[in-house]
Amino acid sequence: MVPDSRTPTGAGRFRRLNGPRPVAVEATPRGTPTAVLWLGVYQPVATVLDTWRIDDEWWRDEIARRYFALELASGRHVTVYHDLVNDAWYAQEYASPKENAKQKRA
Amino acid sequence: MEAACLFVADFAVAIARRDTPALHGRPVVIGGSPEEHAQVTACSVEAAAAGVTVGTTLRRALTLCPGAVFLPLQESAIAAESERLSGLLELYSPVIEVIALGHVHFNVHGLARMTGMADWPYLRDLQEAAAATSGLPVQLAAAETVFAAHAAAVTIFDSTDGRTQGRRRTGPAENPVLVSSGETRTFLAGLPVEVLPVSPLVHVRLRLFGLEHLGQVADLPFSAIQAQFGREGARAWELANGRDDAVITPRREAIRVNEEVDLPAPTARSEPLVVGTRALLQRALSRPAIRGQVLRRLDWRLGLENGEQISRRAVFREPTSDPARMLLVLTGKIERLQLPAPAVALGITLSGLCSEYGHQADLWPNGPRRQRELLDAIAQLNAREGAPQVYRIVEVQPWSRIPERQLALVAFDG
Repeated sequence: MVPDSRTPTGAGRFRRLNGPRPVAVEATPRGTPTAVLWLGVYQPVATVLDTWRIDDEWWRDEIARRYFALELASGRHVTVYHDLVNDAWYAQEYASPKENAKQKRA
Repeated sequence: MEAACLFVADFAVAIARRDTPALHGRPVVIGGSPEEHAQVTACSVEAAAAGVTVGTTLRRALTLCPGAVFLPLQESAIAAESERLSGLLELYSPVIEVIALGHVHFNVHGLARMTGMADWPYLRDLQEAAAATSGLPVQLAAAETVFAAHAAAVTIFDSTDGRTQGRRRTGPAENPVLVSSGETRTFLAGLPVEVLPVSPLVHVRLRLFGLEHLGQVADLPFSAIQAQFGREGARAWELANGRDDAVITPRREAIRVNEEVDLPAPTARSEPLVVGTRALLQRALSRPAIRGQVLRRLDWRLGLENGEQISRRAVFREPTSDPARMLLVLTGKIERLQLPAPAVALGITLSGLCSEYGHQADLWPNGPRRQRELLDAIAQLNAREGAPQVYRIVEVQPWSRIPERQLALVAFDG
């Protein structure tokens, strides 16, 4: 018999971390971001540091995302992705494949 | 029209000719007098035609072009002029990138529409304003991409109605150049390959292959040019085809805090200067722009009764926001001063702002007692709010490629 831990249960005890946050993005017709609405101001994209794509779970709720690691004109680094299923943009922390490779080398 | 390029050919020479109109039409070499052991830093088209290039020794330049006028390089005046030009453009565009002295890229997206003007008249007004304010032969061009705008500005064309005619001139065009949307590739086709931002070796090799214009590069298969020239070739092909993802990167505004005060009475003694400096430091460090930050550099200025100005700079090895430490560094400098006239004004400039490092204590020192106190505090917090307030990060699916599934927050129970 497992003793009662007296720990209350419920959804409040578990929270999702690093969920995608909707973000307004201006992009070229080819889908490359040119400006990101950050803190209420459209900040131009200075550099696209990396881009990669995730396609998964096509057999149930399909996930198709194109990620962009960006450096904004203000110097801030952000990662956004274009949800290719819903045609919407989200911001989400995510180490780019380039960063991962660098960390492994280090 | 997205990007614009403002370009002043031979910037240093153009400034010299503006200040001394008699130099117009004469070969000009900038770098110093011919007897100096120095090199040419800029030269006019006339001097270049005689074989003078940047980097030539001044003696050699004299041999090549005996009739040239040799002028010293006034770096600070040239930099100030470039700054003035950028400052003027900042009145028009919020995104400006200074590429070199007298060469600026800036974003013009929507600016003409905002003023209720068509694109070309807007550009013409802007070029006229820049030329009138600076007194320099500025060339302005705008296009859908940064490279097209840059190429249009640095390669000079006849442009009477804003549409390029493809005929090269030797002087700056009186009118700006506007490369219309959809015509970028056609416009670029006639430009020489030297306009491509690739290494000089690639320029030479392109010429050796008989490729003289961007149109010829654009017509080649991508795979062929990439195989021959590698990454630079791929970039050249994309640019020649009007594809350019380059973004104008605005310069970062450095925060500087100035404080000045007129001394109540002229003085040549160091004590009142130290007291005045202390007051200025306290006033400057309480300014909201730098409150809570540390800084590396302090410029101290003293205005003298005879109109001279004395300045001293202190650069701190470790950034600080402590006025006492700053004053300690300055006091020695102030006491060593031999003033030629009484001081009447005092000023400081704080700059080089950065974040503090090396002084942060651990938030949760180790030790079982401290750990227990922490758990009690969390339990009290949870009890007061009625719901978990502190969470721990746990791995859920660390192997997942979907970021939100890798980690989760679980209520912290100790």
